[in-house]
Amino acid sequence: MSGARHGLSAEELEPILAVTRQLAAAFDLMAMLREVAQAAQAVLKAERCSVWLYDAAVDELVLHVSADLAAVRIPAGSGIVGACARSREAINVPDCYADARFNQELDQHSHFHTRCMLSLPLIGHRDDLVGVIQVLNKIGGVFDADDAALAGALAAQCAVALQRTQMTAALIEGEKLRQQLELARAVQMSTLPTAMPDVPGYEVFGVFKPADLTGGDTFDLALIDQGLLVVLGDATGHGIAPALHVTQMHAMLRMAFRLGADLETAFTQVNNQLAGTLPDDRFITAFIGILDTAAHRLKFHSGGQAPILLYQPASGQCARFDPTSFPLAAMPVSKLRAPVTLEMTPGTILALLSDGIYEYRNGTGEEFGEARVAALIRGSCRQHPKDLVDLLLGAVAGFAGGAPQEDDITMVIVKRRGSAAYRAFARSIDELEAIFAFTADSLARFGAEPSLAGAVDFVIEELFTNMVKYSGSSTAPVEIDIDPIEAGVEVRLVERDVDEFDVTRAPPVDIHAPIGEREPGGLGLHLIPKMVDAITYRYDAQARESRISFRKTAGARSAPNQGPS
Amino acid sequence: MLTIETGVDGTVIMAGRLDAAQSVKAQAFLDQTSGQVVLDCRSLEYISSAGLGVFLRTQKRLLQSSGKLRLTGVGPHLLDIFKYSGFDQIFEIEAAT
Repeated sequence: MSGARHGLSAEELEPILAVTRQLAAAFDLMAMLREVAQAAQAVLKAERCSVWLYDAAVDELVLHVSADLAAVRIPAGSGIVGACARSREAINVPDCYADARFNQELDQHSHFHTRCMLSLPLIGHRDDLVGVIQVLNKIGGVFDADDAALAGALAAQCAVALQRTQMTAALIEGEKLRQQLELARAVQMSTLPTAMPDVPGYEVFGVFKPADLTGGDTFDLALIDQGLLVVLGDATGHGIAPALHVTQMHAMLRMAFRLGADLETAFTQVNNQLAGTLPDDRFITAFIGILDTAAHRLKFHSGGQAPILLYQPASGQCARFDPTSFPLAAMPVSKLRAPVTLEMTPGTILALLSDGIYEYRNGTGEEFGEARVAALIRGSCRQHPKDLVDLLLGAVAGFAGGAPQEDDITMVIVKRRGSAAYRAFARSIDELEAIFAFTADSLARFGAEPSLAGAVDFVIEELFTNMVKYSGSSTAPVEIDIDPIEAGVEVRLVERDVDEFDVTRAPPVDIHAPIGEREPGGLGLHLIPKMVDAITYRYDAQARESRISFRKTAGARSAPNQGPS
Repeated sequence: MLTIETGVDGTVIMAGRLDAAQSVKAQAFLDQTSGQVVLDCRSLEYISSAGLGVFLRTQKRLLQSSGKLRLTGVGPHLLDIFKYSGFDQIFEIEAAT
């Protein structure tokens, strides 16, 4: 606007101020653009006015307001408008058809003849290009330097007002999206169990902790006619759609089972229905299981949901199970593989966790991972599922060190109540009396054959005293559990903070040696295998934990009545 | 619990449970014996390897001075353990009737 010879007169200033007041009120972008165009056209006594907005993302100019054209999009450098955008200078062209930059096509489309044209850049308050305003055909002549100065003043006002409106529009759009997300969340959350089912012999717990952005997790724990329904699902993507997709799956499953479907039928039918209704690029990973609470068997299908961790007290380890099928909705399934059946012995824990846990990243980008989950479950296998969930959440938070939660976190824990009898004993020979009282009480409660007591006590004493003798620096108590099995008992002894020592590989004792060569040591471990049906030793190097498990049944070996005859 | 006493005929009578916690007490008692020792096991309900150790040490000591330990009234449970550990070859054992 350097061409202005003098400041604006009061007569010229008045319409600009009037426009500015109008612009201050408008919040709608299109209304604002129309105001701008009309004001420029009126103030500059032009036949037409066009407003182009700059789309920085693709470096293009988009024609928004024009009397004759709609939806024109051109590269930001093309034509006079482009030259104006690039140079950020006013361009006054008195004869357009004499200017090589002029794009005659626009006139051909609009059937309007552009004689002369004044183009002005719209520069926002952060010195960024907002767009270009063009006034066409000065009534009764061409635009002069005064017009250019006037237009420049108007353009400055318009640019700032436009930018404010664009920002406001973005905010409103964001708010609308947020409200829609909240609504989707509410729908998603409404299907989750509000209270945990009371399952005889089991402890169950599920939790759903949404991330800020809607993920697509869901879970279900419900007693239905077929048993305990156990579901964990995770739909792909973020936003409103996955939240609604899992909600849909959740409802379909409940309905299928309510109508009496078995696991295979429900899985297949829900998959096929979802495959037909979900968009092609969408799918849901889901574990769907039915627990027979009397037979203690959990049968499941998993459509791409993994890992499936099963803590087994006999081994003290978490076994890992893979999916049985591809994710739900990926494609219709005609023939399903056989489901997997999990044996839920006392103390067994099924842990289903969404990848919001496994893939939670700390500040350095490391993932929480399966090994940490498995170690925590092993170390806390006696905890109630709710406490286990809290421990896992605490461990993840500690690991994350403040890194934000990026995905939904969902956990479902199903635990068969622990051993029928359990106690921890201090590492002292003086505990033997209490141990024998514990085994006597447990065997009596199980209605076990009384003749088992002698052998059971013998083996426990030998193992326990061995642990006491070779404690090293460990002060951790020795845990003993006893469970009834067919015609006998299964006993486990667990100790921690110890070195590996496989009691089943003790050196042999020559029982035929003459008395002079016989020593008292080593006899106990030598005798154990003769007293039991089976014995196993497992060592977990990470937890420094030894776990010995043995079984004793009546009749398998001679364990005649003890005591005085 | 374990009780040990000497009967009127000089027989040592053990009753109860001879486990690791009781073996020190049993060893101390048997260390006082000498010559031909008869141990009445009719009321001995239970024995572990710690108890076997007590018997073995006692037997070795007695043999050095031409004595020995004889076990009588041994119930089936103890008999099994003696058999599995080869003690039936180094002790004279009389099963309970």
